[in-house]
Amino acid sequence: MLTINNLHVSIEEEQKEILKGLNLEVKPGEVHAIMGPNGSGKSTLASVLAGRDGYEVTEGSVTFDGEDLLELEADERAREGLFLAFQYPVELPGVSMANFLKQAVNSVREHRGQDVLSAGDFLKLMKEKAAIVSLDPSLKARAVNEGFSGGEKKRSEIFQLALLDPKLAILDETDSGLDIDALRIVADGVNGLRNENRSFVLITHYQRLLDYIVPDFVHVLVDGRIVLSGGKELALQLEEKGYDWIKDEQTQTA
Amino acid sequence: MQIESRLLVEIRDRLARLDANSGNGWANGREEAAGAFESLGLPSTRSEAYKYTQMTKRVKDVLSLDNAGTLIDTTSAFTDVPGIHFSTVNGLLTESVAAGSLPKGLTVSSLSEAYAENRIALDDHLARAFDPDRDAFSSLAAASAEDGILIHVAAGVSIAQPVILHHDRVANSGLVQPRLLVVAEGDSSIKVIEHFGDSGSGSAFENRIVEMISATGASVDHLVVYERGREATFVNGLHVYQEERSHFATNTITLGGGMVRNNLHFLPDGEECETHLNGLYIAKGSMHVDNHTFVDHAKPNCESNELFKGIVTDKAVGVFNGKILVRQDAQKINAYQSSKSILLDRAASIYAKPELEIYADDVKCSHGATTGELDDDALFYLRARGIRPEAAKLMLLEAFARDVVDLVDVDAVKDYLYSRLHSILTETAS
Repeated sequence: MLTINNLHVSIEEEQKEILKGLNLEVKPGEVHAIMGPNGSGKSTLASVLAGRDGYEVTEGSVTFDGEDLLELEADERAREGLFLAFQYPVELPGVSMANFLKQAVNSVREHRGQDVLSAGDFLKLMKEKAAIVSLDPSLKARAVNEGFSGGEKKRSEIFQLALLDPKLAILDETDSGLDIDALRIVADGVNGLRNENRSFVLITHYQRLLDYIVPDFVHVLVDGRIVLSGGKELALQLEEKGYDWIKDEQTQTA
Repeated sequence: MQIESRLLVEIRDRLARLDANSGNGWANGREEAAGAFESLGLPSTRSEAYKYTQMTKRVKDVLSLDNAGTLIDTTSAFTDVPGIHFSTVNGLLTESVAAGSLPKGLTVSSLSEAYAENRIALDDHLARAFDPDRDAFSSLAAASAEDGILIHVAAGVSIAQPVILHHDRVANSGLVQPRLLVVAEGDSSIKVIEHFGDSGSGSAFENRIVEMISATGASVDHLVVYERGREATFVNGLHVYQEERSHFATNTITLGGGMVRNNLHFLPDGEECETHLNGLYIAKGSMHVDNHTFVDHAKPNCESNELFKGIVTDKAVGVFNGKILVRQDAQKINAYQSSKSILLDRAASIYAKPELEIYADDVKCSHGATTGELDDDALFYLRARGIRPEAAKLMLLEAFARDVVDLVDVDAVKDYLYSRLHSILTETAS
């Protein structure tokens, strides 16, 4: 599904290398968690995969479903089935949720050779998917993310994930700013969307989310490289010992 | 002074003939305006108010009051909107309005007919909202206008349907300088909508003077939609006078023209007035659109709200200058101004300048002016959902512009504007 090979990424403006040879292999249906301290490159990884401007890939490759991901524009990646749940969903005053979602769903459907949804069918789909994360379907009349609470914004991201039905979903710090109830709703939503074809990459600082969405693999990202990989128990170890333990070990190995 | 002298010779020649024939009631006012025009002179590029807008240069090309030449038939819009419709030629009514054909209390006629009839005291209203020394173009129009339109609503009368002026036909040569006077007497209310249709490749030059009076407790709601072609020039002098407890709202939407200058003046001259001035412009190609607004708060306890938005692309130029003056006696004023523009091209430019002059100490005033490109984060968010860049851009531009159109309160006109925005911005976004 996703193969990242020796990925080096710099921020264009600063000429500063953030990812320094990252490797990752995600197979269909797998859930991978990427954990790491602040500044380790977690959000850069999410941004680069989703195609945000401002990053320069200096070395390495990313293959998504057999295609060179880095050759595709952000919107092409989304239509190919890559989804990014934003850490900070953007507010778009004046753009209605209904119009935004309809355009998004229909561009993806068109790309897949599916019919454009009728107004009635679209409404039905919205209702069905909004229920997954207990979102009030009346939010369609509101402007995108405008005036949404922190929890609503994150639930709305998962709602969009459900609507767009991607092959690979990257969740960037989806747990940040959520209280325990909202976290449970979001996690239940994600768990309901897991299947043998859809893969997830969960990017998180804390282990908390992984109590609810149990990953198949956990990777530790430190200073732009994955330094340790393991099963779900690795997350618990990190919770207990913190990231310094790994950093220390790194230093010793070096 | 060469241009001015030539125009003045023409104006005075006409005034002399007019006096001899009819003793026209506003000839004195015209003479005074001509005097003001003579001393003001057309603004040079050194003039602060016209620094970015070289209107005087455009006048040279048409240097005549004679517009007897060919007429351009422009494209009408919202003809099916429920309302009281009139078409104009060079800003004047095409025929007399039959008595009894209008709702009771409403008069729509030519200024000359109203004068002859002498039923409405025009001398009390003309030049009340307008100070001839304020702007050379307005005084030129006031001096030149041979006739105009009067829209008058009697005290206590509310006209539910909008009066819609379709400025459908305009001369291809000469300066077209009509006058429009709208008077809402005490506790009356009226809506006036004006449409300037697309003149294609015709080179209309309209320099008009509009005076609007909202008397005690009255309400006037005004909308201008300007869609002339790229060769057209427009100087739109709007002068508003408000008495106490009156309401006035105007929305100036500029979607066409080659060079457009909106001079919008507001004088809330009584307590507890409410003034809303909104505007939107989209400038493309080599268009030049300049909105100059001036709110003169002379009396206490009033409120004014101003929102102007612009989208400027290609090599076009957008200018906004919004002045709010709060005079010393005008305590407890709430005055808000916001101007926002989006620049879509490196060759395009915007000059925005808010000016607050406050002499009273107990007031709430704020202004905000922003100019920028489309927000990258917003574009990325849309694209990360599979929406193509052109469609994403269009969504954001439409959202930006619709904000002003949302303030139009006639639904059918609003729908017309939404669809116009959609097609203009689709072109812009692709």
